[in-house]
Amino acid sequence: MSDGVGVACRESRVGAFLNLRGDAADPGFRNVAASVTGVELPVEPCTWRRHAGHAAAYWLGPDEWLLAMQNGVGVDLESRLRDVLDPRCSVVDVSGAHVQVELSGEDAGKVLQKSSPYDFDPRNFGVGRCVQTVFAKATALVAAREADAFDIVFRRSYADYLLRWLEDAAAEYNASDGRSP
Amino acid sequence: MLRIRCPYCQEARSEEEFSHAGEAHIPRPANPDASSDAQWGEYLHLRRNPRGPHREMWVHTAGCRRYFNVLRDTVNYEILATYAMGERPADEPEEGAL
Repeated sequence: MSDGVGVACRESRVGAFLNLRGDAADPGFRNVAASVTGVELPVEPCTWRRHAGHAAAYWLGPDEWLLAMQNGVGVDLESRLRDVLDPRCSVVDVSGAHVQVELSGEDAGKVLQKSSPYDFDPRNFGVGRCVQTVFAKATALVAAREADAFDIVFRRSYADYLLRWLEDAAAEYNASDGRSP
Repeated sequence: MLRIRCPYCQEARSEEEFSHAGEAHIPRPANPDASSDAQWGEYLHLRRNPRGPHREMWVHTAGCRRYFNVLRDTVNYEILATYAMGERPADEPEEGAL
């Protein structure tokens, strides 16, 4: 972090978001999904896995994951997955529905704690965890990337409201929007 | 504010994240065409309103969006148990047992 900046917020460039549903107890399904996407599906509730760059798989439910793919990777991924997965599985490209921002800095955790009823204390919410929860009267998926860096995924229709919320919540921590040097 | 443990997220979360979804364990008549109007009407509309432990459904709206069952005391709002769909622990107190 540059000197004097407690919180920085910037939009992450994600190539594609895919919503994937299938049987978590079926290793065949998980292997096929991992071989096509390059990201292993987390089975442990409320956790996420990161692969190279921005590619990541977030646990959404016992049979549901959100895949965030790198720029340029996700364009035909939906059809490639559909070709190899069991027809009872579901793959939906939800790229247009989501925005991801990265909130970082030593006070980033405090901004999260102000915004949600969930316990974002580092003792409860360590690196590798992700939760879907109420976030500033909207809902969001929050993932702990590092001890003081978090990825927040929310619906594009809430983006204006939530970015203004984050700006206001972070103002007291000497915030930066990531554009200024 | 209640703290409700979601059996899928395996974590106690704030009531804000959940929505109530009515009484649990209501069996659909096996053969709707053969059931009388009274039976069908009871299935659709009539609900118990017990004083004491009550089995009900909640949905984790802001979280994993899954339905699950809650055994909640309607007198003091204490949550006695939460369990996944398709389960029904036998060692819990009976409904309305006060």
